[in-house]
Amino acid sequence: MLALEFPPIENLVEWPAYFGDGEFFAFNKIALISVLAVVIPTVLFLLAKKEMVPRGLQNICESAIEFVENQVIMSAIGPEGLKYLPMLLSMFLFVFFGNIFEVIPTFQMPANARMANPLVLALITWATFIYVGFKHHGIGYLKEVMVPPGVPKALLPVVIPIEFLSTFLLRPFGLAVRLFANLLAGHILLVTFGVLCIAVWRLDAMAILVPFSFATLVALTGFEVMVSFIQAFVFALLTAVYINSSIHTH
Amino acid sequence: MSLQSVAIDVLAQADPEVLDPKQGQNEAAASGAGLAYGLAAIGPALGIGYIVGQAIQAMARQPESASQVQTTMFLGIAFTEALALIGFVIAILLKFV
Amino acid sequence: MSFIVLAAEASAETKNPVLPVVSEMFWGAVTFTALYLLVKFVLLPPFKRTMSDRAATIAADKDAAELARQQVASADSDVVDQLAGTRAEAAAIIEQAREEAEVERTRLVGRAEREVQAMRDLADTELSSARDKAMQGMKPQVSELAAGAASRVLNRQVSLSEAQPVIDRHLANQN
Repeated sequence: MLALEFPPIENLVEWPAYFGDGEFFAFNKIALISVLAVVIPTVLFLLAKKEMVPRGLQNICESAIEFVENQVIMSAIGPEGLKYLPMLLSMFLFVFFGNIFEVIPTFQMPANARMANPLVLALITWATFIYVGFKHHGIGYLKEVMVPPGVPKALLPVVIPIEFLSTFLLRPFGLAVRLFANLLAGHILLVTFGVLCIAVWRLDAMAILVPFSFATLVALTGFEVMVSFIQAFVFALLTAVYINSSIHTH
Repeated sequence: MSLQSVAIDVLAQADPEVLDPKQGQNEAAASGAGLAYGLAAIGPALGIGYIVGQAIQAMARQPESASQVQTTMFLGIAFTEALALIGFVIAILLKFV
Repeated sequence: MSFIVLAAEASAETKNPVLPVVSEMFWGAVTFTALYLLVKFVLLPPFKRTMSDRAATIAADKDAAELARQQVASADSDVVDQLAGTRAEAAAIIEQAREEAEVERTRLVGRAEREVQAMRDLADTELSSARDKAMQGMKPQVSELAAGAASRVLNRQVSLSEAQPVIDRHLANQN
């Protein structure tokens, strides 16, 4: 009875290359969004005037900087974490602009709904917190991580592998999967309701239901804007928390 | 009710006239995936509800520490939510591998 | 690294949407590195400079305001001190004036009293002299009368010269 099928999921998230198809530098929509996620903040930050009394665009840029400073760094690390501001700010901006293309017409695709960008960012976080750990504790960092204080000696053979796995494997994995799955789920949700709108529209008798499904679609779009922001915040915050756990072990 | 049935029709994968030899397997994979995600969502749902409820209580008791509580709440949600998201990923893996 | 390549190969074979694609990872790494370098060396420093300048300006303005407030407070206390001094001076002047007035008053009162006293003394002397004079005028007649009365009582002639000392003594006693 229906003429419309739900599209296979590959069609929702896989994009043909604009050039370099099959090569390692194949440039598709995801890569284009990644490039835009660099260009847009750069242009915004360059266009903003640097005046004593901030107005307009300068306010937006400064509130982004202060948000990362106060809500991410100060609450997770403290004043000594301020030297990681460029890292965390660029992570926040890159993730946020990669996400927000989910609701921008003609793009309608979050770059982070593909595993690539979250995995790259999670690997960078992973490398960063391990580097910070070795810088602050030397080789003793491994012992600090894997041997929690107050654990009986008999339990150490169990605790050490668990701590090793949870710190060095589950952290980056969880970080990447959290961002990726959130955005993929949001994207599928929006696509589902978009397809539902079209399907209901085509059924003459059911066309009366279009306003409901469309209203849900609009509400979900607003929800996804919020998710885009929160996931960017959470990604930067977790990176800060991991860096903090490397500075202050236990 | 009718909206639901339409939605199910829309989301149904196979056309009944096309008899695919892999169809049975696909259907089993699809229901397995749905079950996996549904089960994976139960625990984190309760957990997130508990976290947010406690955070609201804390904020109502000490409004001056609301921003600190909020940051911690987001951290807790992020860690709890990861379980549901892993379930979601497993569901997709089940469906496509 | 081999893990990533393996994942990419798997993705190419099965088209699994969960696994990462190597070209997207390449572009993600390139773009993120570009953004990090831009933020660190080009975008952030001017903002940090402006923001710290602003914080410094605000702190300086705050200090200046605090200084001005202290000056106002000290000027206020100066005014209060001056006011208190003036008030004390005025009180001293008033006290002095009061004392002078008191002295003057006692002086005037004393003088008036003395004048009154003098007048009273004068009146007293005038009164007594007038009485003496009247007494002196009455004396011969009284003596004569007394002598006559005595003659009648004694049945013998009492001369005036004989009675005079008795009468004088009696009169002196009367007074």
